[in-house]
Amino acid sequence: MNKKLVSTLLCGAMVLASATPAFAGVADGQKIALVGKSAGNAFFEIAASSFKETVEAEGGTVEVVYPEAATADAQIKVLDNLISQDFDAICISANDVNALQAKLEEAMDAGIKVSSFDSAPNKDSRQVFVNQAGTVAVAQALMDAVLDIAGGEGQWAILSATSQAANQNAWIDAMKKIMEEDEKYSKLELVEVAYGDDEPQKSTDQTAALLEKYPDLKVICAPTTVGIAAAAKYLQDNESACKLTGLGLPSEMLEYTGADDEHSCPYFYLWDMQGLGKLSAYATSALISDEITGALDETFTAGDLGEYTITEADDGGTEIVLGLPLQFNSDNIEEMAKLY
Amino acid sequence: MEKKSFVKKITGSREALLAIILIILFAAITVVSPSFLTPKSLMDMLKNNAVTMVMALGMLCVMLIGGIDISIMSTLALSGMSIGMLLKYEHISNTFLAFVIAMAIGTACGFLVGMVISRADVPPIIATMGFMYVFRAMGYLVSNGGEWAGAAALGSFKNFATTKVLGINAVIWVIIVCYVIFFFFMKWTRTGRKIYAVGSNPSAAEVSGINVKNIKLMVYMIMGFLAGLGGALQVSIYASAMPDMQQGGEMDVIAACVIGGVSMSGGRGTVIGALLGSLVLATIAKALPLVGFDALWQNTIKGIMILVVVVVNVILQRVADRNALKGREM
Amino acid sequence: MAGKSGRSINNVPESPIKRMIFSWEGVLVILFILINVFCAFYSEFYNLKNLLRQMPVYLAEVFLMLPMAYILVLGEIDISVGSIVCLSATMSCIVCNTGAPFIVVVLTALLVGTACGAVNGFILTRFQELPPMIVTLATQIIFRGIAEIVLGSGGSISASNTDGFRAIGGKIGSVPYILFLVLILGVIAAVILGKSTFGRRVYAIGTNRTTAYYSGIHVQKIRMIIYTVMGTFAGLCALFLVSSSYGANTTTGNGFEMDAIAMAVFGGISSTGGKGNLAGGIISAFIIVCLRVGLGQKNVHAQVILLILGLLLICAVALPNIIGSIKKAAAKK
Repeated sequence: MNKKLVSTLLCGAMVLASATPAFAGVADGQKIALVGKSAGNAFFEIAASSFKETVEAEGGTVEVVYPEAATADAQIKVLDNLISQDFDAICISANDVNALQAKLEEAMDAGIKVSSFDSAPNKDSRQVFVNQAGTVAVAQALMDAVLDIAGGEGQWAILSATSQAANQNAWIDAMKKIMEEDEKYSKLELVEVAYGDDEPQKSTDQTAALLEKYPDLKVICAPTTVGIAAAAKYLQDNESACKLTGLGLPSEMLEYTGADDEHSCPYFYLWDMQGLGKLSAYATSALISDEITGALDETFTAGDLGEYTITEADDGGTEIVLGLPLQFNSDNIEEMAKLY
Repeated sequence: MEKKSFVKKITGSREALLAIILIILFAAITVVSPSFLTPKSLMDMLKNNAVTMVMALGMLCVMLIGGIDISIMSTLALSGMSIGMLLKYEHISNTFLAFVIAMAIGTACGFLVGMVISRADVPPIIATMGFMYVFRAMGYLVSNGGEWAGAAALGSFKNFATTKVLGINAVIWVIIVCYVIFFFFMKWTRTGRKIYAVGSNPSAAEVSGINVKNIKLMVYMIMGFLAGLGGALQVSIYASAMPDMQQGGEMDVIAACVIGGVSMSGGRGTVIGALLGSLVLATIAKALPLVGFDALWQNTIKGIMILVVVVVNVILQRVADRNALKGREM
Repeated sequence: MAGKSGRSINNVPESPIKRMIFSWEGVLVILFILINVFCAFYSEFYNLKNLLRQMPVYLAEVFLMLPMAYILVLGEIDISVGSIVCLSATMSCIVCNTGAPFIVVVLTALLVGTACGAVNGFILTRFQELPPMIVTLATQIIFRGIAEIVLGSGGSISASNTDGFRAIGGKIGSVPYILFLVLILGVIAAVILGKSTFGRRVYAIGTNRTTAYYSGIHVQKIRMIIYTVMGTFAGLCALFLVSSSYGANTTTGNGFEMDAIAMAVFGGISSTGGKGNLAGGIISAFIIVCLRVGLGQKNVHAQVILLILGLLLICAVALPNIIGSIKKAAAKK
């Protein structure tokens, strides 16, 4: 093959590509891109659709974009694409804390506002983070649930997603800290932190191993949606005396939630996913309209959610905290399962 | 005399060597953690690895004709997600019907793959790599872009994986039935032997009147059928259908076959080998959290164990071959 | 024999011009132009400026395609490359954070990659009976596993001194360095594979290993070299990847092996060995990059992009075969 010809054609095609005039986008209303962690996540879909509804009601447009895999590499490609288009803002749920910094800074330099929700990139890569519930508040709720279900004493274990999951690690660390600091948890013994990689199969293996290794295990706490469903199924099928709590989706947990012995999970937590989408939408739109800049102590009104203040996040950046985690138990789960 | 030939028989067969490795593995794990070797624990292990075990049979057939299929977990996700959505929106409620639909979708996927490979002469790894993306994307589309079908949405379908027949879980019965059928199919039916013939020497098989193209097509349809069955089992066992189910799991199935002595260039491999291979992998997966390695180290140890098992198998095989040669010289 | 196009659309190679157009590379060039025209009309943001800005992240994967083509021509496969990228990116960030000069960081990335490749090569040449797929599957798990151990909980590291990485991510005008490097290395790799003795030997091994062995080719030595170089290139890919993220994490490089194989195969390199050349591989790499950028700029769903690429891959291999067999059938009549 004649390589000269190839390279000539190659250059020719590139010139052709550059010569084609770029049509200017119609900039009517705010144009926001919402970037997810990966496609096919029911958890994210709920927040995304409420985000979209909120922005569209205000006359803006939202593109929900997914990377092709749940990796930072894939999100970098997505961000590159978004920077090429003239978006007013990008709201992202980051797959990695640090890896997106270069691209998000490039976006901010190009005049695009960057907010994040669900999972935050580091403080230099964002203007503001919408936190679903304060890390300490989540950890406190889970710790109290463990204490309550265990009956004040005994062995308990954590079944997490991956050992690298930033959110999960933050909650686990906060839980450990709470347990150390308060005397009332002193009779609880955290025997192991296991990782199910958010795969049903591996989570099941890990749950089974926990039960076999620690026959007196009283409670498993699974702060991850896939892990909690897999563990709930295993415990319930085996009529285990060990109980479960954690963070999960009501629709996935409906079958397993109840205060009696037939159900493996007395109650569990999650935050208001629709509210999260809504608040993120208002916060992002406030960034675009320069109502806020993401600095500490600024306030803005998030529609019917009321007024919110920007506070300091654990990593030194700023965040807006949605509220307290919601508890799901046998009384409210049927209704909530219809929503998400 | 008799004893020697027995020893020879043992060391001469790949399957026997693998069985020894498996027994050593079992013994070592039981020493560290005695709860491993209880009926309940073993049943759990089989149930939790049912998908890989069943699909290893299809991969065996595919690899016997010198092919490979890396689209299987996408087929699994598409068929599993399809019945998940059908059950969720109450289009169907019958468990049997759901299984049939899943297997039909799987077979149809296998048919497509088989047609592209057998009729258009596309190398199997390329064709199935393409279909891996295509079927996975279709799984996402079926799920309306990312809905899950949870336990409550699946109704009575999920009960299949918790029913017991004669004290043994229905899922394990499925494994047993599949393995028994394939054992007879591969060993004593004409079609089964034709698969071996095509794998050992396609041109000779062609000349001797076997329709090689049809055998290839059939093999990928069998694989698709089992992937569909795997999809139904996956959804039933974990009571949850997600579009990204088992992503990357195809490598486990291939590894199970290769560990079980199935040759990647075709013609060699047995049902027993596939069984032992998938049991080795299942044992590793079950044992890693039980033995109490640090979570960070588990993946590395899994990789090293796969490597060690295949390398040890090669070394033992070499020793056995050398011994066999010695015998001939004498 | 060696170095010829992997696929042919037609068997009418009378005049050189005709041969060029009907060769697979000719088809690819036409496809490349068509895709660019399509993208330019499809996406209002598709222009040279944006293309050059978005390209570097994709181009890092093209480094992997070059040696992967050699491995495919051998009739083998290496699915551990994504994990090698992860491990060398991790190690180079760690070394960078000790305050070492940037040249040491570069060497670390390349050396770690080379070492990993050598491990693959060693196992594969020492135990020739083992299929490359299973060995590289095991090392895929192991290399990423080591990166997981090194990174510890958190699973992510960021380079504290980004000057060096910024420098290699730099541009001449608006053309990034990486584009030049990809083209230079691509031409070198293509010439070695197509014109040198070494290249001919690779084809010989891929066509018939036993014959190659008996005709005096050091089969195992060549395999060892290729797998090791594969590792080196994975280290190079890792460096440029870090230059776009200034860090590494446990998912870095995940799935890159499939992208590299897809680029090579789409370019006409046969996965059954002995066929194809790198000119096709390089053009096809650019086709895939341009298509991804173009579709991505219109925010086409990631899964739909993969679906299109999957179909393209199947059709690219199937269509020439189907046309060929129809022609053959027609000729018989």
